[in-house]
Amino acid sequence: MIEILSVTGPASIQDLGRFDQYRFGVGTSGAMDDVALRAGNILLGNDENAAAVEIPIMPFRLRFDRNIAFALTGAAVEAEIAGRAIPPWWRSYARAGDILNIKAMSHGARSYLAVGGGIDVPMVLGSRSTQFRGEFGGLHGRPLQVGDILPCATSTAAIGEFGIEPAGITLARPNAAADESIVRVIVAGEYDAFEATAQELFWSSSWTITPQSNRYGYRLQGPAVKPKAPVEKRSHGIVPGVIQIPPNGQPIIQMRDAQTSGGYPKIATVIGADLWRVGQARLGGKLRFEQTAYTDALAAEDDMSAYLDRLRTNMRLVEEAGTCR
Amino acid sequence: MPIETTDIARLAQILENSGVDTIEIEEPGLTLKLVVDTRSRIAASASPAAATAPVADHFVMAKADVAGHFRAAHPWQDKPFVAPGQRIEAGATLGLVKIGLLYAPVVAPTAGIVDAVIAETGAMVGYGTPIVRILPLAASDPLN
Repeated sequence: MIEILSVTGPASIQDLGRFDQYRFGVGTSGAMDDVALRAGNILLGNDENAAAVEIPIMPFRLRFDRNIAFALTGAAVEAEIAGRAIPPWWRSYARAGDILNIKAMSHGARSYLAVGGGIDVPMVLGSRSTQFRGEFGGLHGRPLQVGDILPCATSTAAIGEFGIEPAGITLARPNAAADESIVRVIVAGEYDAFEATAQELFWSSSWTITPQSNRYGYRLQGPAVKPKAPVEKRSHGIVPGVIQIPPNGQPIIQMRDAQTSGGYPKIATVIGADLWRVGQARLGGKLRFEQTAYTDALAAEDDMSAYLDRLRTNMRLVEEAGTCR
Repeated sequence: MPIETTDIARLAQILENSGVDTIEIEEPGLTLKLVVDTRSRIAASASPAAATAPVADHFVMAKADVAGHFRAAHPWQDKPFVAPGQRIEAGATLGLVKIGLLYAPVVAPTAGIVDAVIAETGAMVGYGTPIVRILPLAASDPLN
């Protein structure tokens, strides 16, 4: 078990998501950075869909009540286990009573704490992810609070301590600036409802991520992008990654806790392989959109899969060789 | 080429100084294996007299235990894991060896003061390559 000692923002239990209930209007939820969640689980030899703790704001402190392997992935954090510093994207080992202290986040927006065997909250509608909107899943369907006890599945994970190269390094994009994320998008249904000048504004602007950005969606600020004429559509199905343009001309990127439907015109959609980059973009930071083709989106998906495949292979080598302690 | 006893003595000294435990030289008609007896060194540092004061003559080497490229700092962190003069605990991470996507830690075998980081970032290191020279603080039990 894990006891939460200190929590600052809306931390929650997330697995990869809830994908079978969309037709009933139940959103996917799931880790905002699915690559980091998978990597953490791979590090521990877990099922890659095992639930972990998603932590958006530091400090965050917890106590392990038994010996257990754990991994920290996602954002670059300054963390200590029992007073000993642990680097980013690291698998380590806690002894009963040890305190994990995640003190600060130097870049990125969400840290993932995975534990050997996974966080063992009940499956609800096929997933352990917290559904904020519906208030179910995760731990009592809500963000974590001080004093919460998280059940952990039993695991026989090895006690080796080592790290892996963060996805942000292996999958680094060219021309990425320090505090600007470039994400690839495909134009969406109502793209042609915008004049060429409005389209150009959408592509050329460096969008500011406003404080009204969270697991539901990212609200961006920049020059107003307006359609030729107001677009009034009936609500229709949308998915995480869809970029809508509401009447004020300020884009909204739908994220993991988004509604399953909406009526605002859709100008573009973030490709699946870059959605985690949005999830790791910080409030106050900048976002830029790069138009990409469907085939390139598939190639990006392949790059992401190749990274995860290499991780799996590397981990098998560790298990076989027993080289790392 | 025959090996003189003075050569062996010199080799033994080099092993001792660089913190390497074993060397094997094979030539036609000749095999030479030198093994440094580290037990006496550890025993000496564990004696009651040495329990409080640093053992100036007996540095301990933190060594790589996999082959790969050494990194003094995590690529996401500007500051190296350790710097000379820094007090460290046994088990502390002193650097990384990158092999494929894996970052294997170089672990402090003993508590002490960092005397020098010998390996350079980017350098290829192998099993047993000395990475950090440590002045042990006291009679702490070495790991391994």
